[in-house]
Amino acid sequence: MHCVRKVCEDLYWVGGNDHRLALFENIFPLPKGVSYNSYLLMDEKTVLFDTVDWDVCRQMLENIRHVLQDRPLDYLVVNHMEPDHCEGIEELLLRYPDLQVISTEKSFLLMRQFNYPIDGRTIEVKEGDTMRFGRHTIAFVQAPMVHWPEVMVSYDTTNGVLFSADAFGSFGALDGKLFNDEVDFDRDWLDEARRYYTNIVGKYGAHVQAIMAKAAGLDIRYICPLHGPVWRSDFDYLFDKYQRWSTYTPETDGVVIVYASMYGNTESVAQTLAAKLTEKGVRHVAVRDVSNTHFSDLIADVFRYSHIIFASVTYNLGIYPLMHNLLIDMKALNVQKRICGIIENGSWAPKAGSLIHTFLDEEMKQMSILNTELTVVSSLRPDKEGELDALAEGIVDTMGKGADA
Amino acid sequence: MKFTTTKEQEDLRKRVREFAEKEIKPIAFRLDQENQFPQEQIRRFGELGLMGIPFPKEYGGMGGDVLSYAIAVEELSRVDGGTGVILSAHVSLGSWPIFAFGTEEQKKKYLIPLAKGEKIGAFGLTEPNAGSDAGGTETTAVLEGDHYVLNGGKIFITNAPYADTYVVFASTDPQSGTRGISAFIVEKGMKGFTFGTHYDKLGIRSSSTAELIFQDVRVPKENLLGKEGQGFKIAMATLDGGRIGIAAQALGIAQGAYEESLTYAKERVQFGKPIAQQQSVSFKLAEMALKLRNARLLVYSAAELKEHHEPYGKEAAMAKLYASEAGLEIVNDAVQIHGGTGYLKGMPVERAYRDMKITTIYEGTNEIQRVVIASSIIGRPPKKKAVRRQGTSITGERKKMIFKGDVKEAVAQLVEALKKDGHDFTVGIPIDTPISEAERVVSVGKGIGDQKNMKLIEELARQAGAAIGSSRPVAEELRYVPIERYVGMSGQTFRGNLYIACGISGAGQHLKGIKEATTIVAINNNPNAAIFKNADYGIVGNLEDVLPLLAKALNCGEKQPAPAMKKMKRPFILKSAPEHARYICNGCGYEYDQDFGDPENEIDPGTAFDQLPEEWICPECGEDKSSFIKVE
Repeated sequence: MHCVRKVCEDLYWVGGNDHRLALFENIFPLPKGVSYNSYLLMDEKTVLFDTVDWDVCRQMLENIRHVLQDRPLDYLVVNHMEPDHCEGIEELLLRYPDLQVISTEKSFLLMRQFNYPIDGRTIEVKEGDTMRFGRHTIAFVQAPMVHWPEVMVSYDTTNGVLFSADAFGSFGALDGKLFNDEVDFDRDWLDEARRYYTNIVGKYGAHVQAIMAKAAGLDIRYICPLHGPVWRSDFDYLFDKYQRWSTYTPETDGVVIVYASMYGNTESVAQTLAAKLTEKGVRHVAVRDVSNTHFSDLIADVFRYSHIIFASVTYNLGIYPLMHNLLIDMKALNVQKRICGIIENGSWAPKAGSLIHTFLDEEMKQMSILNTELTVVSSLRPDKEGELDALAEGIVDTMGKGADA
Repeated sequence: MKFTTTKEQEDLRKRVREFAEKEIKPIAFRLDQENQFPQEQIRRFGELGLMGIPFPKEYGGMGGDVLSYAIAVEELSRVDGGTGVILSAHVSLGSWPIFAFGTEEQKKKYLIPLAKGEKIGAFGLTEPNAGSDAGGTETTAVLEGDHYVLNGGKIFITNAPYADTYVVFASTDPQSGTRGISAFIVEKGMKGFTFGTHYDKLGIRSSSTAELIFQDVRVPKENLLGKEGQGFKIAMATLDGGRIGIAAQALGIAQGAYEESLTYAKERVQFGKPIAQQQSVSFKLAEMALKLRNARLLVYSAAELKEHHEPYGKEAAMAKLYASEAGLEIVNDAVQIHGGTGYLKGMPVERAYRDMKITTIYEGTNEIQRVVIASSIIGRPPKKKAVRRQGTSITGERKKMIFKGDVKEAVAQLVEALKKDGHDFTVGIPIDTPISEAERVVSVGKGIGDQKNMKLIEELARQAGAAIGSSRPVAEELRYVPIERYVGMSGQTFRGNLYIACGISGAGQHLKGIKEATTIVAINNNPNAAIFKNADYGIVGNLEDVLPLLAKALNCGEKQPAPAMKKMKRPFILKSAPEHARYICNGCGYEYDQDFGDPENEIDPGTAFDQLPEEWICPECGEDKSSFIKVE
């Protein structure tokens, strides 16, 4: 059975939802599933914008057949050549013998690398090219590294629909809803949208800034991303989030305390600090156990909060492996401009703190470290309370003083 | 080939030796003890025409050869290593670059009086962060109309402050490393050109060594030596020649020590015969003679190569390296032969022992000589420079808040900031509290001027509830405060809460002694002084104006004795964004950061993105330069 929603005049959502997939990109958990959005424009010519992952390909084919009725599919626009949006290409080429594929030079290069039989059926477009399909004229805009280098976005100059590729997308299956105004985005979707953005595109803030600058000149009525809801209102809310994330500006004046604890002693320090901070009136205090919090959630947290406290045991004279992994991933995703606090624990040779300090200083950008760095030997005892208080005071004093927070 | 000097060269040696024996030797001990520059003797040496031996007569010189000049350095050094280097620095470093790279006008104006000995020359290359690695030069020269405006400073400059003419190296294009360095002729007395510390050295104490300070020094455009960007080339060529001078100095010091030892060993009798007859001593003397002959042949042959315009860089490096290292062994044996007597002040070998050490260090350390020799044999090693990060000061992250405007207002703002940080001026410590135990120190530098101004410091210390400290020269040279009160790497370390540096320029060794200070305040009339980049708060102004106002503002009646010091936490400083832009590749997201450059593709750290060669491509994915976007 087809499952289609109309986006606006002439345009239909023909994608699919997936709750069965455990790990997106075989790495990110999907507790709320994921949607793969594909859009079909019914003009004098028929134009499909991107396809879907193999898992939901049959659903898409059924949807397309339903919307097309007896018409052929004339064009496929590929904005983003990542396999979760391309698995349908080969099947479509087989089913619609006159179908032509519109994309960028680099995208065709990738298609050949992935073995798609596109030879003789390609139309290459460049920045600023337009194509008219009847009533609708589509302009193509390059958006390199808004995840992958071949990416472009397509803009329908007739009705203001922006096909934004991975930008403005989110984890989470649509489950019948389509538009942002059909869900409580801030309550039910923001966390997954943040986790999606920060982990998938977080590294490429400068490129997101570049495409946002290009988009600022357009009269946008609809934003159709490749995952998650279609936006047709409240653009300021969305752009504000993207502005912050892509400039590595915190969303929330608050603290995320990430701790690595083997026997609960470091956890106890983290809890004590959290209590002290809350007592001092800090409203947003999140405490995360690095061992049982997926790193993608931690990455979302460090993008969100102005302050990050690393509390780590020393392990093999180094940083606890999972904490070390978090730091490496933060560096990979270009996390910067945060105020950081450091707490180390060690029973005979505490080292994690100085190693974290060096990592933040030398490997990352503008990570300002609070002066009080607490060393705990095995467990927190009363003689260290003064230092813990000093750390808490340092956090409170610098609240709201981070880079542009 | 006979390997002997000519009659003319030996005649010259005789003349110089006579002068040295008569004029220098009798006072050498005093010069050493009192750290005194033999100004009068150098003037007379110049009158004899000996300050310009290797320069043509038309430029006021003697028209002699390079070897004659080396012999003159050797002979002076034979009686006093310090006097030897005065000549070497004057000829090789201060005068030669003008002779080799100067315009006709520059030669007429500057070389002639130098060669005639009417003026003394010096050479300013070394800086706190640019020693063997000249690429770190931080002194800048900015062209403004008809003048270059110089700012920065030089350290360890031989013949300063006695020299009249200085060949100074400054960056006209700080982005370009060594390719951005240019050479200038700077005259003593130019406005804003002052001298800092006169160093208290282990040896060569009759030579003067001081710091050069440039504060908005306007140098006429026509004093640019060579072209812009040629400075590094000029410096390296000058140092090649200078090495012959230093090699000759080492040779001379060793020769003198050897002769003293030989005489002593023949006179000193033990076990019934002169110790020279003891095999162990005779072997020492034999080896000394062997090393001297080796060194002399190396030095003279390098001088001859230079004289005949043949490549001589490697040979000069070999001569300097060998003469200094063999020289150290010779002076060591010389003291040993003298026994306990040689260990006493006043003995020439004791002085030679100290004088010699510098020759393995300056004019390029002997490690650098090995680099020079090796690279001339093997070729240049692939470039891999250490990462140079900008903006970190010696004292760590500091607020660097300078209070401007009128002095009274600046003082009020400073006091308010200090009180806000938690400094309590109702309590205080005695001004003679040991520096290492003091919670607060008011520290005085050479900017204080006359000793009568010390009462300003004492008053400020009382009102700030602080002990008194100082920079090294104030304790050691001026002796305004006891020697145990100077702060720095070689002196006391301050670990307290508040350090008020008055008239202290901020030499690296001083700053290292206050790294642990919670708050550093700088008061200095030179806005470019390094201390301001290492301080939390600063006021630019004259001490006579600022100190009384500050003392008054801190005055809150009789101080209560301070409770046991509670170390205050350093203020939290938010890291600032890098000064240069970063660029990101559209093809893969690779980020070009000029702090790191692209070493694999021979792009040095410090190379700005727009200075990357056109053919440079993304090292990760191969996109060309035009595919990079600037991070806004």
